[in-house]
Amino acid sequence: MEVPRLSRRLWRSAQYALIGSAATGLSTLLCFRAQAGLTLVAPVYLLLVVLQSLTGDFLAAGLVSVLATACLDYFFVPPLFTFRVLQLADAFSLLTFLITALVITHLVSRLRAEVSFSRIQKDRLDRLYQLSQVLLSLEPEASEEQLMEPFRHLFGVRAIAIFDGQTGEMGMTGTSSQMLAERTKEAYIFGRDAYEKTTGVGIRCVERGGKPSGAIGFEGLADPKETIGPLMTLTNAYLERMKAFHTASSASAAAQAELYRSAILDALAHEFKTPLATILTAAGGIREAGPLGPEQMEMAELVESEAERLGNLASRLLRVARLNQEEIHPKLAPHQVWTLVRHLTEEYGRQSPDRRIIASQDGESREDRVDAELFRLALSQLLDNACKYSPEGAPIHVVLKHEPDSFVVEVSNTGKSIPAPEQRLIFDRFYRGTVTKGHTTGSGIGLYVARKIAASHGGTLNLVVAEDHPDRIAFRLKIPSSIPNPNHAPATN
Amino acid sequence: MLQPRTSVLIIDDEAPLRKALRTSLVASGFSVEEARTGEEAVDAVRQRRFELVLLDINMPGMSGFEACQQIRAASPQTGIVMVTVKDFEEDKIRALEAGADDYVSKPFRLGELTARLRAVLRRTQPQEGTERVRAGDLEIHFTNRILWRNGEQIHLSPKEFDLLAYMMKHIGAPLPHAKLLHAIWGPEYGGELEYLRTYIRGLRKKIEKDPAEPQYILTEPWLGYRFTNPADPDTPAASPAGE
Repeated sequence: MEVPRLSRRLWRSAQYALIGSAATGLSTLLCFRAQAGLTLVAPVYLLLVVLQSLTGDFLAAGLVSVLATACLDYFFVPPLFTFRVLQLADAFSLLTFLITALVITHLVSRLRAEVSFSRIQKDRLDRLYQLSQVLLSLEPEASEEQLMEPFRHLFGVRAIAIFDGQTGEMGMTGTSSQMLAERTKEAYIFGRDAYEKTTGVGIRCVERGGKPSGAIGFEGLADPKETIGPLMTLTNAYLERMKAFHTASSASAAAQAELYRSAILDALAHEFKTPLATILTAAGGIREAGPLGPEQMEMAELVESEAERLGNLASRLLRVARLNQEEIHPKLAPHQVWTLVRHLTEEYGRQSPDRRIIASQDGESREDRVDAELFRLALSQLLDNACKYSPEGAPIHVVLKHEPDSFVVEVSNTGKSIPAPEQRLIFDRFYRGTVTKGHTTGSGIGLYVARKIAASHGGTLNLVVAEDHPDRIAFRLKIPSSIPNPNHAPATN
Repeated sequence: MLQPRTSVLIIDDEAPLRKALRTSLVASGFSVEEARTGEEAVDAVRQRRFELVLLDINMPGMSGFEACQQIRAASPQTGIVMVTVKDFEEDKIRALEAGADDYVSKPFRLGELTARLRAVLRRTQPQEGTERVRAGDLEIHFTNRILWRNGEQIHLSPKEFDLLAYMMKHIGAPLPHAKLLHAIWGPEYGGELEYLRTYIRGLRKKIEKDPAEPQYILTEPWLGYRFTNPADPDTPAASPAGE
């Protein structure tokens, strides 16, 4: 409390003043008995004043200075035993003595106060240094109690409240009796710092990039106004370090997971192929070794065609897994895109006889520059999706449109609509829609890789959903076209 | 048809695949020996001559590429077909550079494998009368530098003729871009794919019925081209990615 602190200070000043007064009285008595002159008594009093000032109490030292001046006048300046002064020179001497005593008192007291302040500052710096060391050595998984302990131990903090203005989250450590959490949040809302010496509460708004980002409050500080600045900086630095650590950890974990996933896909795709080659060769051998009946021949062919299909799927899986990790460098060459589209849709038509795949082109067929293998892979992904997510018998339309400077392939089907929030996420790596998750197989990288292929050609791949037909899903693959001038070839012989 | 004496050495560390290959190739008219590793294969080739070698790329111990080099050195006349798992162009190019005549990628159909083996066998056997080569409707006369299609002479520029003649001399073989550029344009060429593509496009317009769906000059994705004879039952299937 403020009042008792003031009383304590006054009481201490009174005690110092009493001791100083007693010393002055004793000196006066001794000097008076010894009939000492003004020139001897004045330095004695000055010495007393200096000694008194060394206590650091300006009030007590001031009082002793005034008392010493009064004693000097009363006992040693004629006429004695009165405060009157007859000689101008005596008055001047007394005045000089008083001013000198007060100046000495002031200077010594100020020096003492500065020394004391320096000590406090040094002590505070020491504690801040210790705190920073402890915070730096804290493990990222440190508990709230572990975080709180150095604050409590070094600064007497009872509670810390941290409010994140961006997420609206409030973190509270320790026990508050002053509604610290509520007051910290208020400080952020009104953009006002708060200091309360009596309760030791200090709250400061935090800024990031010149904008308010939250607030931090402490309870139990001895000097909230002086201490909160560095404490807040240290706490903020600790939190930023933790955030950076967790971000780096999740990025590293994600990278590891991706590496692992690709390694599994790669291994699966490879490990599949040798047994499949064995099955295919054995099925071919059965047919060659014959003679087989028509049904047995049909079965052997079925084994061959299905094993071959599995092999192609494994190849594609391997390619997609690689393209997922690597930067794609398409090898552009002129191709009749319509031929590529037609062959692929025919292949899918054979593989999925329960789907109606209808391919058409808009305009005259022409050559465009494209990496045929990558284009087939991207289009395969779109056709796979359409086959997976459309009901049996429903048509799947593949339309090739030739535009002046590009070509567009649109693959559309009807099926379950994709919720609006998911529409922008379906091209994200490893994203699997809520509608499909758990019902339909998939690696979650197909559309990501298809878009990557489109981008590597300088093109785009987008989802087009008509507002009036949310169940009609269309993917639009647009690739720019640039056929070089054939005259650029080297001269013929 | 092949004579029963056509000998094939199968090199693969997978016992089930070796067994399936042995049974199936024997049923298709080959005589088959097996080796489990590259080292065993090199020893076998040094002891006796095989017309064909079917060599897996991925094996413990000596790699398929190294085995291929040693087999080629030990027996230059043997036709080597390498079995790749990674159907990416790097392995195919490495296989051809190591001395393989062709490759098949796992998983393969038996028909595809025997077609490749027969095609390689034909190329590695000494041929007579190579002055003229026929392939489907085409006939080329190398010395006179004339190409006929269904008896009608087709005009080709000198570079087009050189390119087509080279491909028809290596009928059925995979021809990497760089190899074609080296052979036709000179050793300083190798990366100028646009040159090659321009001429291939021109050639297809002149010799193919439908240049969009070529039957003679097939594209080997990311590798190069392969000239095939559509009238040959052993010809590989046309690539849908006609370049």
